[in-house]
Amino acid sequence: MRLLTRGSLTLSGLLGLGMLLHYLGFQNEPEPQTRFDLGPVDNFPPGSRTPEPQANAVVLNRPEGLSALSLVCPHLGCIVQLKQDGYACPCHGSRFDLNGQLRNGPASQPMRMLHHETSPDGHLILYTQ
Amino acid sequence: MRRSLLLASLVLLVLLVLAVWKESRRLAPRALTPTLTGQVEYCLTCHADLQEISASHPVQTFGCVLCHGGERLALDANLAHSSLRGGKNPSDLAVVEASCGGANCHSGTTQDQRDHIQRVMTSLQATYAGAIASLRYAFGAQPDLLARQGIYPVQAPASQTDVHALTAFDPAHEQSPALQTFGARCLTCHLSAQPPLGPAYARYSGCAACHTPLYGQTPAPAGQPSNPPIHRLTIALPYSQCNTCHNRGNYDLRDMTFHPRTDQPTDRLHDYYQPIAQFTRCEWTLECIDCHTRQEAMGDGSLYSSKKESEYTRCSTCHGTLTELPLTRTITDPNDLALRQAFLNPVIDLKVGDTILVTAKGEPIWNARPLPDGTYELFGKATGQRFVFRPVKGTQCQQNPDQQASQYCHACHSVER
Repeated sequence: MRLLTRGSLTLSGLLGLGMLLHYLGFQNEPEPQTRFDLGPVDNFPPGSRTPEPQANAVVLNRPEGLSALSLVCPHLGCIVQLKQDGYACPCHGSRFDLNGQLRNGPASQPMRMLHHETSPDGHLILYTQ
Repeated sequence: MRRSLLLASLVLLVLLVLAVWKESRRLAPRALTPTLTGQVEYCLTCHADLQEISASHPVQTFGCVLCHGGERLALDANLAHSSLRGGKNPSDLAVVEASCGGANCHSGTTQDQRDHIQRVMTSLQATYAGAIASLRYAFGAQPDLLARQGIYPVQAPASQTDVHALTAFDPAHEQSPALQTFGARCLTCHLSAQPPLGPAYARYSGCAACHTPLYGQTPAPAGQPSNPPIHRLTIALPYSQCNTCHNRGNYDLRDMTFHPRTDQPTDRLHDYYQPIAQFTRCEWTLECIDCHTRQEAMGDGSLYSSKKESEYTRCSTCHGTLTELPLTRTITDPNDLALRQAFLNPVIDLKVGDTILVTAKGEPIWNARPLPDGTYELFGKATGQRFVFRPVKGTQCQQNPDQQASQYCHACHSVER
């Protein structure tokens, strides 16, 4: 009887410990990523237009320098799609030219320019907020 | 003592095993952070199998909580649903402003054509002011047919009619027993009303009454899940959804009772209108929304006293008259409403420079346009089907130019059933 009691209590203790670890191991959802390391700046040669899907952005290398446009539609937040002559929102039909300037609504703002910088090791760092 | 200890340890073990078993059956939380809100929500833990409600409202952008309310972090169904707006239907007019409103959504300005909610709240379909005025006039409660009361009080200072406000219709304050009975039995087909039971009347309330077609289905009672789940919004409305209110039967003023249609239509020709109605071929080959405009159906911001006042589409709107071709307009503005509507319901490929038909009030009939040979084409908004039709001008029609109402066209062009 003693053996049975000890075995039962041991099992209970192990189960309880497991449950406790399970609950203590709970992690909140990580904050959405807002900083993206896009690799060496050399990956973006002059004249290039490079989509960065993980950041919902496109990096442009124009004569005036590097810039980045957010692909999040300024109307209601859908992800705009690259077309032949610009970008189009698949949700509500807003259209933008290749430089992100508004062609037609319902959006009332151009596509948002994103802040970026070059890290000391020559990587392009993009900030989406 | 030892026996008690053993018993207690076994009970503890059983309870812990049950707790582990229950925990193991719990669905793994499925997080979603919509781009529009940036706030994590766990609704997809249970609702991942729901279809996308529409291409304009992708869940990755809107999430669920923005429209439905609810407790976004809760994993317990009762807690998660405890603060839902409008139960299963956030578009109910009692909560629609919180669910669907917003300057960029459906309560924007008249200028940017986003005043959907304001217009609907003043529309006859929502106020029921026409029927109420007719009944109150018929039973001596008011001296004329001018609308004074609606399902709810509403103000429309910019109304283009003589009516700028409605008070709430309260049957309990009516002296006529007939009006009291009317209030008790006959208020079933305005946008805030629950419809009678039966698949022929199946619709939700609010925006979903029209934009979530249910005809032929049996929506689950409040608080119970539908099977299959109905999660859809569309502007391609089939006539059958209009029929859940219109053409479904008649209210008899003698006994103040709704009498359903007694015919049992088996095809569209017979289903479209009640047997007493007269109509033309295009009226049963097209959908209601192919002719009737958004302002007719959803209101234009004015308060009307009858459907006759608010409806203005005529045969001549698309067919013209003996002397005039139908009105047209060439699209020059990339923000033209016609382009927006054609984008949302792409049954027609429209672009700047195209010419489309317009109504007498200038509303775009964006799904119809002239062809080089002098005919016109129209694409069904719900079916995508292409129809080609001719103008009256240049035909042998003997129509009196002063008689343009539809009944005069029906005299020669009505369909025999």
